[in-house]
Amino acid sequence: MNPLLVLDVIRFELRRSMSPGRAAIWVILVLFPIALISAIRLLSNQGEGNSQAWGLALYFLVPEVVCLLGLLLWATPAVSTEIEGQTWVYLAMRRPGRNLVLVGKYLTAVLWSFSAACVAATACTIIMGSVGGFQLWLVVCVLSLLSCLAHAALYILIGTLFFRRTMVTAVFYTLVIEYGLSLVPAMANRLTINYRLRGLLAEWMDWDEARTVAESIGGQEPAWFHVLTLLAISITLVCVAIVRLTYSEIPTQQEG
Amino acid sequence: MIQLEQVSKLYGTIIGANDLTVQLPPGAFGIVGPNGSGKTTLINLLTGQLRPTLGKVTVFNQNPWRNRKLLRRIGLCPATDVLYPNVSAYEWVTYQVRLHGLSQQDSKQFAAESLQQVDMTEHMHRPMGEYSLGMRQRTKIAQAIAHRPDLLILDEPYNGLDPVGRYQMTELLVNFSKQGKSLLFASHVLHEIEEITSSFLLIHGGRLLASGTARDVEQIIADTPQEVVLFGPDVPRLIPHLADQSWVDSIQLLSERTELRIGLRDPTNLYQSLAGWISADHLQVDRFQTADSNLTAVFESLLRRHRGESK
Repeated sequence: MNPLLVLDVIRFELRRSMSPGRAAIWVILVLFPIALISAIRLLSNQGEGNSQAWGLALYFLVPEVVCLLGLLLWATPAVSTEIEGQTWVYLAMRRPGRNLVLVGKYLTAVLWSFSAACVAATACTIIMGSVGGFQLWLVVCVLSLLSCLAHAALYILIGTLFFRRTMVTAVFYTLVIEYGLSLVPAMANRLTINYRLRGLLAEWMDWDEARTVAESIGGQEPAWFHVLTLLAISITLVCVAIVRLTYSEIPTQQEG
Repeated sequence: MIQLEQVSKLYGTIIGANDLTVQLPPGAFGIVGPNGSGKTTLINLLTGQLRPTLGKVTVFNQNPWRNRKLLRRIGLCPATDVLYPNVSAYEWVTYQVRLHGLSQQDSKQFAAESLQQVDMTEHMHRPMGEYSLGMRQRTKIAQAIAHRPDLLILDEPYNGLDPVGRYQMTELLVNFSKQGKSLLFASHVLHEIEEITSSFLLIHGGRLLASGTARDVEQIIADTPQEVVLFGPDVPRLIPHLADQSWVDSIQLLSERTELRIGLRDPTNLYQSLAGWISADHLQVDRFQTADSNLTAVFESLLRRHRGESK
């Protein structure tokens, strides 16, 4: 796959998404955690004392909520919008079109969501003052990147498995698996992305006490293992999506 | 160029293509059929978007489903509209050419040339959201020809075009064909295709009913029992005239005796006699509908012939 062609797909996708609606969604995603952190900062009686609570709040708001919402809007409908808009056939008529467009849209979704997450994390860290500092900001940014890579791959795959009701399926999966199962203290939660992200947060922030108390929902594996697992999940899911799309007979239009 | 061997395509229990066998040499061909006849299924099979349930499809001696490199030699203008509201035609066509793997410079050059061919140069930097249906149609043609394919497939390319646009489109397709390139052109309007090619494939219900030149098809239609419908308050008074004729197969009086449906073996006899009967008896006949004006009726006649229900 020619990386320059992938860059062109990203450029085109960003170009076509330069609309007031998309820009407004990006701004809302950025402002949402900022507003909540600001409110907590104003109303909290804990002051700057409980850095772990602040860190968890920031982690929940940025790598989980902001990234997931952004990716739900960008990655999940990547294929289905082209099918519904009846523009898929134009892309599928290009030799590498199916795979190239899928990878390009995947990376665009990552880029778009990660940019919102980074800006939100930066602003929130500034508002939080000295509670988290540079370490928390860096950890949240890296976790956001990993979250975007893994969740985008997951949603892209869901988008290629379910051409209809894609968003409903992705939201259902997120609520049941990523927010439900990942918090269940059982072996099954190790298959979820959020389990790995929480493990990395505790590991990189040196929250040993938290890890001991909530070992089953954050894990005790080393950081490199979590990172490798997340990257493996991302690559595997994208590859499965590519294979699925390559051999899919997608209805191009109403039969004429 | 194109070979289909006993190709069938099933969508669950619905048949999209039914035992199609056809060989097409390089050239221009029209695919004629009413809406829902299987034209788009055939196009999707030829472009590798669908895999045949049964049979074998080859284009340029290759299987389009397995060999997607083949797409570099095919240009497709689908019937569906395209709309990226805030992207210009130039950006979109350049992007489409680029996806074929051409360099950025070539992609831009090819896109500009193809947009010029469809007379879109003046508007090509405007967002597509501002385009009329006809302009979008021309942009679709531009993306289909921009990478200089050997085979151009068009599905209802005249949709949305005004008379001037139709004329320009016809000129473009005729010129494309004259360059020695192949053209496959699907439409449900026979005369649109006649302006570009004299070779037809007639499909209906996913089946190939007839193929050949316009003359062949006309002969088939002429040999096929056809139906003529007359409307007016005096049409029952034509029945005595018709009942004596050997070329009349059936007569039906419908709609409170104001619609006369006549099954004919040879309509030309009716055309020769009808005016005389009307004039002699001072009859009021408001409307005359022939099978020719109703392509579906022609296809139904051909289908009966295909099934062996008539000669």
